[in-house]
Amino acid sequence: MKKKMHYLLLVPCLVLLIVFLVMPLIQIIFPTLFPEGSGFSFANYLAFFQDEYYMTIFIRTVRIALISSIVCMILGVPTAYFISRCDKKWRGILMAVSIFPMLTNSVVRSFAWINILGKNGVINNILMSIGIIKEPITMLYTEFSVLIGTIYLFLPLMIITLVGVMENIDNDMMEAAESLGASRVKAFLKVVLPLSIPGIIVGCVLVFTGSLSAYTTPQLLGGPKNLVLATFISQQALSLNNWTAASVFAVIMIITTLIVMKLLNAIAAKLDKRGEV
Amino acid sequence: MAFLSLKDIAVAYHQKNYILQGLNLDIEKGELVSLLGPSGCGKTTTLRVVAGFIDPQEGNFILDGEDMTKVPVHKRNFGLVFQSYALFPHLTVKENIAFGLKMRKMDKAQMEEKINEVVEVCDLKGLTDRLPKQLSGGQRQRVALARALVIEPKLLLLDEPLSNLDAKLRIQMRVEIKRLQKKLGITTIFVTHDQEECFSISDKVAVMNNGVIEQYDTPENIYSRPKTEFVARFIGFENFFDLTKVEEHQYKNQNGDIVKVDNDDDLQTCKGTIRPDDIEIVTSADKYENLISGEVTVRTFLGKSYQYEVDTSIGKLVVSSSSEEVYKQGDSIQMYLPANKIVLV
Amino acid sequence: MRKHKGLMIISILVFAFLFIPLIIIAVTAFGSEATITFPIHGFSLQWFVNVFESESFMSSLLLSGEIALLATLLALLVGVPAAYALARYSVVGKKLLKSFFLSPTIIPGIVVGYALYQYLVLSLGFPVFESLLLGHFLVVLPYVIRIVGSSLDQFDFAIEEAALSLGCQKGQAFFKVVLPNITSGISAAFMLSFINSFNNIPVSMFLTGPGVTTLPTTLMNYIEYNYDPTVSAVSVLLMLATIVIMFIVEKTLGISALAK
Repeated sequence: MKKKMHYLLLVPCLVLLIVFLVMPLIQIIFPTLFPEGSGFSFANYLAFFQDEYYMTIFIRTVRIALISSIVCMILGVPTAYFISRCDKKWRGILMAVSIFPMLTNSVVRSFAWINILGKNGVINNILMSIGIIKEPITMLYTEFSVLIGTIYLFLPLMIITLVGVMENIDNDMMEAAESLGASRVKAFLKVVLPLSIPGIIVGCVLVFTGSLSAYTTPQLLGGPKNLVLATFISQQALSLNNWTAASVFAVIMIITTLIVMKLLNAIAAKLDKRGEV
Repeated sequence: MAFLSLKDIAVAYHQKNYILQGLNLDIEKGELVSLLGPSGCGKTTTLRVVAGFIDPQEGNFILDGEDMTKVPVHKRNFGLVFQSYALFPHLTVKENIAFGLKMRKMDKAQMEEKINEVVEVCDLKGLTDRLPKQLSGGQRQRVALARALVIEPKLLLLDEPLSNLDAKLRIQMRVEIKRLQKKLGITTIFVTHDQEECFSISDKVAVMNNGVIEQYDTPENIYSRPKTEFVARFIGFENFFDLTKVEEHQYKNQNGDIVKVDNDDDLQTCKGTIRPDDIEIVTSADKYENLISGEVTVRTFLGKSYQYEVDTSIGKLVVSSSSEEVYKQGDSIQMYLPANKIVLV
Repeated sequence: MRKHKGLMIISILVFAFLFIPLIIIAVTAFGSEATITFPIHGFSLQWFVNVFESESFMSSLLLSGEIALLATLLALLVGVPAAYALARYSVVGKKLLKSFFLSPTIIPGIVVGYALYQYLVLSLGFPVFESLLLGHFLVVLPYVIRIVGSSLDQFDFAIEEAALSLGCQKGQAFFKVVLPNITSGISAAFMLSFINSFNNIPVSMFLTGPGVTTLPTTLMNYIEYNYDPTVSAVSVLLMLATIVIMFIVEKTLGISALAK
């Protein structure tokens, strides 16, 4: 009797998730596995991997996610390390400063780059007024602008994740390395970096899966020529009523996200075994 | 000139809050010197100046005739042992010990040899492939020591290295450290707030307070002849009373009674002090000088002795007595303050 | 005391990269020209007036607020008991349940929106408002489960047992002893849920209808057809709101509550 009460607490949450998440997902996945009234088959998915246009979109999405993760990591690691070594007051300020863009709407953040990269944008204006270029350079609605926007979107997330890990690395550890003859840079590479790797991987998972499913930024900065998985789904479903393609893409998106997460988390877990104090 | 010398060192945060001010310290080669004091007294700051983590605003640090003040940490070649041990958690014991040697780009064979030597000395055989988290506190401590010693440092700096160990292990380890230090003849600075630990291990002790060294002397002298009231209190003196000099070895207390003092300093007005267990409770017929009477207000049982708080005409005195006679609250007693146990500060 | 010059320079550049775009937007909001220019040539507040006079911005602002509030409350209502059961009792399949409750995070927002649109709106004929609300509920539920869950994990349930031993009833003990001790977790979950629902676009993209358009969606549509500083003005207002929220959080929970 008492035991049942415990489970009762879980029921509302479970029911809502099953009815409004699992069932809708089944409803979109199911038809993709039974194409055009025939029996069960992976034909739709095989078609996806054989279609050059579809594959271009898929590869573009993965490429953008990969490059964004790497750039966020390269910029995020030193910045996060700097923040983690600041005294408490400054650390609080810099954390707040990092959190602020994250809480700002992504439409606003993408819109900012339209103003900067556009034909009449800040960069073109500056370059033309100094006389470096005569004609405006096309930067907006390219893969480059999507990339910049995505990095801009996720860099704060990477920084905040890394600060969380790095502030737990005892300063004594760096000092010990220095006293043993390591320069600052060496001490960082030999001690801080190895100890931060689990955190870096978590950050990369967040950035990678985040940019894999990003919609706003590629929609606003990519234009119709640079579709990614998310913008393709909305285009197929809303403008073209091509439900099958949209659903197949949705499934591919979920599966890719899951694979990346499992893979990187497995690596992190393996490294973590050694890193734990 | 001394082997190590700190000259007029000043350290301040934000240019105004001084942590160290005009600090001077000389250490001879092969000595083990302790910096003793309460937390916030500047002992760790002093150690960090020596280690190179803090640039002093003023003053110089000279080692073996060479000015080290501006030398970066990683070029100083000092062995450091931290309170937290600061072992690298991602490296095995062996890799931890090898860290400093790798930084010196030592060749493999020589490195092996050095590591084996220090593993032997620090009693770490069989533990070399473990990670720090798989070690006990005492073992971690020994790894930290081995890692610091393997680079054959010019100085060994120990920052409260024993404070994370339990009492029994602490005593074992301090004997161990002393033995190693003497065997290797390595000049060592040891930071601690524990006076017993400090006395047992040191050749010399610098008692610090508010960023200055109050007294720098052998443990024996500090124990029996503290120079300032702070040092006296810190190492267990209680019972402070005002004295004025009358003549050589004769002082007057606030009631005008004569107090005889063996250790006479040239002080006109000063304070006399005595440890609780140096005061004897007597019946009036036993002694004829340095007597004072009072009334017991609090009695505390300490195991091998009783401690009494006694109200007297020169203030409250604390006395410990292991005599068989036990007094109770309200009893009047006579106390004898031996002239050779009174210290002037 | 010890300075890291190289690190400092990189960090300053990174923060410049993060803030210059936002500063540019803020400046353009005050321009007097009909299209966005930077630097501005004249000062004007007309774009702010525009925002407040615009029916579509104001009604979508209200809708976004309403949806964010309701979705957050619904998530707290079902999420807190679930998180409590998971933290307190040894229920069967605890780990699996927890990852199930967190699973909406790994389903891309656009897919959630798309699936709900197909299932609720097209197949079952659900009204758009309720569908949108459910979509946002799915977005914010993981925040509640994770944040409230972690503050419950740190809660010492011996305290609840003490209350029971003093004659408190089970349910009473939860409200009198457990809840007051996890308020900071609940507040943090509330804040993050509200903000994330308010800012969400992908889920809302499909779930719009006449009179049911969230503010970010309205903004997005506006940008596709207009290039005047009205959007900059909205952005400035949203950033001000963010600053106010951050200030309140800093004064109550500490800013790190938003870094979870």
